[in-house]
Formats: sequence, structure tokens, C-alpha cells
Amino acid sequence: MSEIERRLESLGYGLPEQVTPVANYVPAVSVAGVGLVYLSGHVPRTPDGGIVSGRLGDGMTVEEGYEVAKQVALALLGTLRAEVGDLDRVTRIVKLLTMVNCTPDFGDQPAVANGASDLLVEVFGHKGRHARSAVGMAALPGNCPVEIEMIVQVAG
Amino acid sequence: MGTADDRLKELGITLPDPPDPVANYVSSVRTGDLLFLAGSGPAKDAAGKIPLGKLGEDMSVEEGYDAARLVGMNVLGRLRKDLGSLDRVKRVIKLLTMVNCTADFKDQPAVANGASDLLVEVLGDRGRHSRSAVGMVSLPGGIPVEIEAIVEVE
Repeated sequence: MSEIERRLESLGYGLPEQVTPVANYVPAVSVAGVGLVYLSGHVPRTPDGGIVSGRLGDGMTVEEGYEVAKQVALALLGTLRAEVGDLDRVTRIVKLLTMVNCTPDFGDQPAVANGASDLLVEVFGHKGRHARSAVGMAALPGNCPVEIEMIVQVAG
Repeated sequence: MGTADDRLKELGITLPDPPDPVANYVSSVRTGDLLFLAGSGPAKDAAGKIPLGKLGEDMSVEEGYDAARLVGMNVLGRLRKDLGSLDRVKRVIKLLTMVNCTADFKDQPAVANGASDLLVEVLGDRGRHSRSAVGMVSLPGGIPVEIEAIVEVE
């Protein structure tokens, strides 16, 4: 078992099954020449495969948003594992774009995004230290509260 | 042509020392020859204040342009801080310029020009970049403009 899988298990995190897009795109693209993997935006899913809905500043608290962002980060790792085979190949989480569905006066996107950032550092340690943008969106697919894109550097 | 610092002196520009992130992420990550910067907000203006506002609501395009220029200052300040010198910038490859605005505001490009113009002013041809200019329903802390950059470095 890979070291990262062992860490996930000891932290009590399971990675969700990958959801196959039903449109003309793929969950991740590996750019072999530069060792980068670009992941599509991931949204939070319900156990039956639907999309969690909610909006920060209008019914959803920052604490709830933090937990949702954490779930989205785990979904991204599920896709990453399917794409690269072994999460030990990750040499760096390079960049996150954390998009928060929120009201126009909501300014705490970074606090919500921390749910994903903290998870990645917890799992990958110093390799999990990434650059990030946290922004507010008027709407997101399925009216979900958080969508996250990720760029990862891998070896081998 | 002289160094980037010579150019800044020529233009009378003093770059800010941008604040470091206080959460679980870093200001930039280098992979190969590419440097991905975290989103930057505006530096303090001449009066010592960070501009806040929403385009189309309480901020004009001219004020938005000025705010975007202040974000450009923070991007350059961050590049100099993380690279040691702006001369190590080989090329600014891509900007994502995000404008905090109302649903009917369409002049994001005019606002984004505040940052694009500054980068070309300071870095010349090395500062000529590809760009997206988009509208956001809100931004952290109520800032009017946030910009991400991807830069090729030596």
C-alpha cells in the first residue's frame, strides 16, 4: 500500500468513487512532458451521486462550507489516484482554484477554502503546500456551494 | 536595456512588500520553469488604504483601473520577493483578472487593463501576456479586483 494511502487510512479518510462526466470532457489530463496533471473542477456529491446544493451567506455557514470544501478535496484526490495510479507519485500540489457560491456581500471565501487546503497539507505534508485563489461565484453547477480545480506535479 | 530595478526607478515606482498568506497555502509554487502565483489583491493606495468596492455599484471603471494597477503592483512585489529579482522573470504567460461586479457590469477588460498596462510598462515585451477578464459575484474582504498569474522564470 502506498505511503499516502496509509496516511489517508490512518486519518480516517476514504476517497470517493470517481464520477464519470457525461459530457465532452474528462476528469483529468496529464501533461507528460512537464509532469503536470490538470484536474477538472470537482463539486460535492451526495451518496446517491447527486450534487450537494447550498450558498454561503444564504443558509450555509462558513463552518459548513469548510466541511464541503474538505469533501471536494477528497473527491479531487480520488480522481488524481485514478489518473496517476499511485498518490505517492505526487511531488507537489501546485495550485488550487477554490470557487465559492455565495451572496454578493460574502467576503469569507478564504475561510471556506481552508477546508480543502488544510486537508491537502494534512495528507501530503510539505508537498501539499500549494498556491491558491479563493473567489466568489454567482452560481455553480447544481447550485452547489463549492467547486475546486487543481493542478498537481507528479514524478515517474 | 537596464535591469527591472532601473526601469522601476525610471518610472518612479516603489513596489510594495505584499503580505504572506496566513492560511494553509503559499504565495507561489514553482514547477519546472513555470511559477504559479496565488491570487493577489490590491496594494495600499497613496493614502495608505486598500481600495474596496464593487464595479457597477459603488466603483467607477476608472477607479477599478486604478485598483487593478495596485493589484499589478502586488503581483510584481510578490514576484520580486519570491524570485529575488524581477530580472528572473522570463515572460508573464497568463493573467486571470477577476473583477468584483454587479450582474450587468460588462467592462471587466477596461478594469483589467490597469494591471496589464503596468506589467508591460515595467517589463516591456516580457510583460506581454495572455489574459482572461471575468466578473465575480464577490471577492475576499470585498476587494474590487483579484489577479492570478502564471509566469515563466529563469
